[in-house]
Amino acid sequence: MIFEHTEEQNLLRDMVREFAENEVAPSARERDEEERFDRPLMFGRLAELGLTGIVFPEEYGGAGADYISYAIAVEELSRVCASTGVTLSAHLSLGSNPIYLFGSETQKQTFLMPLAEGRKMGAFGLTEPSAGTDAGGTKTTAIKEGDHWLLNGTKIFITNAGEAEIYIVFARTDKTAEKHHGISAFIVEKGAPGFSFGKKEQKMGIRSSPTMELVFQDCRIEADNLLGSEGEGFKVAMKTLDGGRIGIASQALGIAQGALDVAVGYAKERKQFDSPICRFQGIQFQLADMATQIEAARLLVYQSAYRASHGLSYSRESAMAKLMASETAMRVSTQAVQILGGYGYTREFPVERMMRDAKITEIYEGTSEVQRMVIGSALTR
Amino acid sequence: MKILVCIKQVPDMESKFKVDAGGTWYAKTDLAWRMNEYDEYAVEQSVQLKEQVKDADLTVLCIGSDQVKETMKKALAMGCDRGAHIADDNASGKEPFEIAGIIAEYAKDKNFDLIFTGMQSQDRGSAQVGVLVAEMLGLPSVSTVVHFAYEGGTVEAKRELEGGIKACVKVQAPVVITCQLGMNTPRYPTLPNIMKAKKKELLSIPVQELLKVDSRQETARIYFPEKKGGGLVLEGDIAEMADKLIQILKEKTAVLA
Repeated sequence: MIFEHTEEQNLLRDMVREFAENEVAPSARERDEEERFDRPLMFGRLAELGLTGIVFPEEYGGAGADYISYAIAVEELSRVCASTGVTLSAHLSLGSNPIYLFGSETQKQTFLMPLAEGRKMGAFGLTEPSAGTDAGGTKTTAIKEGDHWLLNGTKIFITNAGEAEIYIVFARTDKTAEKHHGISAFIVEKGAPGFSFGKKEQKMGIRSSPTMELVFQDCRIEADNLLGSEGEGFKVAMKTLDGGRIGIASQALGIAQGALDVAVGYAKERKQFDSPICRFQGIQFQLADMATQIEAARLLVYQSAYRASHGLSYSRESAMAKLMASETAMRVSTQAVQILGGYGYTREFPVERMMRDAKITEIYEGTSEVQRMVIGSALTR
Repeated sequence: MKILVCIKQVPDMESKFKVDAGGTWYAKTDLAWRMNEYDEYAVEQSVQLKEQVKDADLTVLCIGSDQVKETMKKALAMGCDRGAHIADDNASGKEPFEIAGIIAEYAKDKNFDLIFTGMQSQDRGSAQVGVLVAEMLGLPSVSTVVHFAYEGGTVEAKRELEGGIKACVKVQAPVVITCQLGMNTPRYPTLPNIMKAKKKELLSIPVQELLKVDSRQETARIYFPEKKGGGLVLEGDIAEMADKLIQILKEKTAVLA
């Protein structure tokens, strides 16, 4: 398996890195402290650079690029600001991709086009107080009433909530069907009658990315907003999460790389016992392990992105990529804090933020345990 | 209107440079490559001009091995219409007169109204190529330009002089403009434009077809300057350090005189 990037992928990486360093990084610390989402910067600029629809065909407003390009963009953004990285990942993988995969032509024209062009932002509502890892436990209901569906229930921990204009929401349409079979997916627009937002979460990390509850109280949506077939919701969710894992794996990879870059820079500057600490073997061995783990994670991420782009199965590979990259991000960012010592523990340096940000990558879009379940069941099927 | 913009691919300046085995250039291994920063301003200005006059054809030219095509693609993604790649595996071995000769030979019968170059390259830094091209083509040149405006065949350019002085120059096209840093804000090549750049014309021309001049100078050796003594680091409490600093400034400089 060889991953030599194309010229286009190299140009994209240079462009996103320059943008991230020049425009995103300077406010990352402040936005984290203030729990502030800066839409013009964290989404508006991404739209202007053509990043909000990377993988979708041009006819739907996308850039017609591949999943490796997508991974590169999320990685480079997350290298300086994981909140910006997840904004793109949740918008594209979770809010937009289900419409591309399962939407009718009309739904693609109506909803995917403005999402891909970045005129609207997307989000995804699956998790509930009693249904996270166990998506089959969905309690939100949708009842057909004439030309409409009536939605009732609450979704929690929703990335991009409040900001996004378009939500993919999962609800039980058949109470009698077995757990996974009675669920359907819906496209719900912000402003739909009966749709409101609950509390905003105060989080350990990715604090500049908004996370809120979605509340549906007799929320009325058009019958046409059913995404895919009735009862197909579980499939929509699982297929979407396969792709979503590539986004989060890339985010984790970016956090890890960002932490390593800071640690290497610091180790070259910081002097103890009249020598830069990078000359000490103890530090060199740590840096070597960090870099090696990152490189291994990167290959898994690109492999799963390659398979997604070439129509090959990638459920198992994207689970491996996310598992490896997120655990690498946690390990590497923790080690980076250790190398920076007291400075690393302060907010003067970005590694403590990176360490806080890394933790969520082991939890959302399938915990590490779920990734192991996916991989394990693929092995023993 | 026909516009030419000449660019060069140079190493990222944060790279660790080593002198190569021949001792006359840097070793090219383990370097990251990018567009010469001055040329980014030249590309941006040429694209802005094209957008202003609408009916324009903008060619980007670059001399070098196949590796430089990636940098040319960036220029195409920023808005150039076509690329002229002068294929030369030994471009870094050529001195400015030869480089200018190649560009002039390419441009001589193509009637470009405007030719933009960077003021200098970040690696060789001779600042000669743009003005030599103008001389060889019998065109006027305006160098070190920090502001550019074009209206009906007339260019109004602001040049940066030493000591913070600026000069305004009016000149009729055709003309060669060499671009100084800060002239504009180079745009990012957006992803859709990166994808479109793939489909734009990028012709390779063997350098032998265009190299008609002989070199006039030779680099005897390049080297790192010998290290001078390191800076002075003051230590102690703040009042003591301030006293020491004042003493040093008085003794060794005229700033407190």
